[in-house]
Amino acid sequence: MVTRTPALQMETRLNAGKRAGFFRVIVAFFVALMRKFLGGETMFVNEFGGPAGGEVVLAPSLAGHIMTKQLAPGQVLFVQRGSWLASTGDIDAKLRFGGLRTLFGGEGLVLLECKGVGDLFVNSYGGITEVPVDGKFIVDTGHIVAFDGSLDFKVRSIGGVKSFLFSGEGLVCEFSGRGTVYVQSRNLDALVSWLTPLLPG
Amino acid sequence: MRFNTHYRPAHSLTVVELGPNETVRAEASAMISMTRNIRVATTGPLNRSTGGFFGGLKRAFLGGETFFTNTFTAENGPGHVTLAPALTGDMLVHELAQNHQLFIQGGSYVAAPDSVQLDTKWQGMKGFFSGESLFFLNATGYGPVLMNAFGAVQTIDLDGELIVDTGHLVAFTSGLQYTVSKASAGWIKSFLSGEGFVLKFTGRGRLYVQTRNPAEYGRSVGRALPPREA
Repeated sequence: MVTRTPALQMETRLNAGKRAGFFRVIVAFFVALMRKFLGGETMFVNEFGGPAGGEVVLAPSLAGHIMTKQLAPGQVLFVQRGSWLASTGDIDAKLRFGGLRTLFGGEGLVLLECKGVGDLFVNSYGGITEVPVDGKFIVDTGHIVAFDGSLDFKVRSIGGVKSFLFSGEGLVCEFSGRGTVYVQSRNLDALVSWLTPLLPG
Repeated sequence: MRFNTHYRPAHSLTVVELGPNETVRAEASAMISMTRNIRVATTGPLNRSTGGFFGGLKRAFLGGETFFTNTFTAENGPGHVTLAPALTGDMLVHELAQNHQLFIQGGSYVAAPDSVQLDTKWQGMKGFFSGESLFFLNATGYGPVLMNAFGAVQTIDLDGELIVDTGHLVAFTSGLQYTVSKASAGWIKSFLSGEGFVLKFTGRGRLYVQTRNPAEYGRSVGRALPPREA
């Protein structure tokens, strides 16, 4: 949040989904605790509202764009964890892991499965390219912002063993089917690798 | 082969459109996305077009570039690859003509077709004093050369003399000669000025200059970060 008008109240709650059952709340709680402990971002969200209405201004931490996506009933959008900014209406965000392989190599693909009716605000690092996929398309996992639930995806390395070790490309996500993939032009991991040698001491 | 750059200047990204069986050679880790019919090969140090084993070594240790490069080839029809640098900044294309040369600052090279050959030009002792990498990749042959800049790019068509900070240089064409010198007359004043070393260009040719200095950025941000844990 950047600013908000005084009539709006803010409430913090666990991002377990609004219609979440007991089990999912417990899972979300442990995930939140784990993430807090491991230094990642928490899975807590802030809810803004009030009977009188008002205005809230939001901004992401990295340099980049924000896009709005309206979700219709039954529509699903997968959003990369760090790209989820806000949502309105009754949109639910459920945690989904992009498979075991993404846990290796440090490029964790952690996705939020967003479903419901309302507006979804998604931020990126760099610019966002909307890629209409009909067939197959390959994206570096660090550059995925979001993609339609109608697409199938699998995470793999880019080529053979040599490419996996030396290409510097890490893991890619292969999409298939029909739908849109949103790709960001910068990658946080790349910035971190560039900055790491410059740490003092 | 066509290069189309979007989101300029801060978050630039280049779409490389390849015709059937066309190949583009790109620096490792520049790839963001690609169509399914693109074949990726990691050209190791033994690949001749990148200068052979010693060419690769030279490029890695002197040119500030990676040892391995990736080639992307469109199979069974056209395809595309998108490329972007790690840092914030613009991308630019220099059309290299036959019998001309382009000298590219270590970290600025991104991609080129096979018709462009790259080698590391040894800068002699004058490179050593600067502290910032003063090794240039020497591009010969013909075709478009894709580069990245930190910040925006200023294109200068020079006929005469100009002094450029070493950290702000992206590339320059043959026809220009340069000498490395201290920014100020005395050593102490040069050190205090914060300008370090400068390049003094003379002759006729084109210079590409970037509006930000990566080493300076690294120093300001790096200093603000918490120290490494032991």
